[in-house]
Amino acid sequence: MEYIQTPYELKIPSHFPDMIIPIDNPMTIEGVELGRKLFYETKLSGDNTQACATCHAPSAGFSDPEQFSTGIDGLQGDRNSMALINLGWNTSFFWDGRSKTLEEQIIQPVINPIEMHEEWKNVVVKLNADVNYRNMFFKAFNSSEIDSLKAAKAIAQFLRTLISGESKFDVMYKYENNLSLSANDQVIYQTITPSEWAGYDLFRSLNGADCFHCHNGPLMQVQKFSNNGLDAAFTDIGRGDVTGDPNDYGKFKVPTLRNIAYTAPYMHDGRFATIDEVIEHYSSGVQQSSTIDPLIEYAFQGGVQLDAFEKDLLKQFLMTLSDENFVNNPDFQEP
Amino acid sequence: MSLVVITFFSCKEDEEPECQTEPAKLSVTVQPVFGNETLYLDSVYSTVEGYDVKFIDLKFYMGNPRNGSAILTDAGLFDYRERGTLLMEGEGSYLDYSSMNANLGIHSSINHNDPAAFDNASMLNIANSNDMHWGWNPGYIFVKVEAKVDTIADGNPLFDHNVVFHIGKDENFQTLTFSNVNWSDQGSHHELPLKLDMETFLQNSAETIDLKDEFTSHTAAGQEVLSMKVMMNFKAALTTY
Repeated sequence: MEYIQTPYELKIPSHFPDMIIPIDNPMTIEGVELGRKLFYETKLSGDNTQACATCHAPSAGFSDPEQFSTGIDGLQGDRNSMALINLGWNTSFFWDGRSKTLEEQIIQPVINPIEMHEEWKNVVVKLNADVNYRNMFFKAFNSSEIDSLKAAKAIAQFLRTLISGESKFDVMYKYENNLSLSANDQVIYQTITPSEWAGYDLFRSLNGADCFHCHNGPLMQVQKFSNNGLDAAFTDIGRGDVTGDPNDYGKFKVPTLRNIAYTAPYMHDGRFATIDEVIEHYSSGVQQSSTIDPLIEYAFQGGVQLDAFEKDLLKQFLMTLSDENFVNNPDFQEP
Repeated sequence: MSLVVITFFSCKEDEEPECQTEPAKLSVTVQPVFGNETLYLDSVYSTVEGYDVKFIDLKFYMGNPRNGSAILTDAGLFDYRERGTLLMEGEGSYLDYSSMNANLGIHSSINHNDPAAFDNASMLNIANSNDMHWGWNPGYIFVKVEAKVDTIADGNPLFDHNVVFHIGKDENFQTLTFSNVNWSDQGSHHELPLKLDMETFLQNSAETIDLKDEFTSHTAAGQEVLSMKVMMNFKAALTTY
């Protein structure tokens, strides 16, 4: 018996590039539905209490409001849970980029002793005991055999649907680049304040906040690892742990700024509780070190030295990156 | 050098000899060097001024590589850290490219197009250009050189002097000409190896870039002279073997 899957059509904003889907994991309605159920499935954890969504809550931009997530054994790591936004365009995963594909990344939290602390073979047993899952896996993959790879593929399909591109910023982006605005865009455009535009100018100004080198384009991030001047001496060497190269010490994946209002706390270790603290860091708290990104050009004076008015403008712009349709999208919530 | 075009034939036995001919593959590579040494990112080289310099990022766009009506691809993106020495790949006969003209940068006719609208395989697509696209108005960054320099010869290797050259904008667009290029037969394809000499980049005859004093340009107002010097020196540094 063969089940014919239904292709899933991603809702990609007009100003975004195409999303490249792995040939061995095409998007299907059945796969996304299964992935969504698995994302919220506590059976993936050792004591059946935690799901992916436990540390990646939709209301928090699919991140964790806590500085460090607590695993099923009460243990905590030393990095903040990353926001899951527009992952389909990312080229590496985790703060240190140790996974090159979503499918590869998804395998890890389940078996991590300080996170879900479970073995995939046990997860497979638990899922196999549920006739609903057996049916869903069959529909998604034409196979009644459940395994970790299929589970990871399904979750990856769901994560690729988590697309955020309907914020006020998106209208600003389209407007300034002469892209057509929909009727709804035009309504939103009328609500953009002079302060938000001024904040955007500061964001992009070399002599202003100078954020745009790393937070650029429709995704509001570039695909790179950077030392953004958090520490003069590293307690976490980040990317260096993966490459073994001292030149990578203290570098971490550049995150998107989309939905930043929802994704506190900030930085790889969640050290900043508020956006104000983040702005203050780049304004006056930058620490010099051997691997600091040369694009942090005012590091020699501790940062870009914004005054209070400029900080407020910048913050107002950062608020335009909030996409309520994204965090409240019913297709993304627990089924 | 062989003058035979490498092509691949796929025929089934007992069929009429109507064969599918796969187009020949071509690639252009760039090997960064510092004088006579192979250049590696994050390694230390000495300038004639006596500074120690570590290059940490070398990227550039080569647009519209062509010879007459033959066009290899729309643009190649060199990214030494992420893509190694590969600049571009294309299809065609190397015999069509006995010499090659190209652009250092992206021509104004497409420099300000929607970067999401280019073909997925194009290096101009924003998913591939990554941090080499500034936005529609300035367009693409043509040449990116980032480095850390120790300008104080005190024996203390403190590379705290940052060098950032991000050069783009239509007025800095340059053309390149490579005459009598030598394609090498790599078996599955032919390769044109180019050389990027960063010592020449810093010491291009009279147009020296002294990293102690000339270390930043984002092609902004007031940086026109250095921006053009960076482009001209980069152009001089990029040669055939």
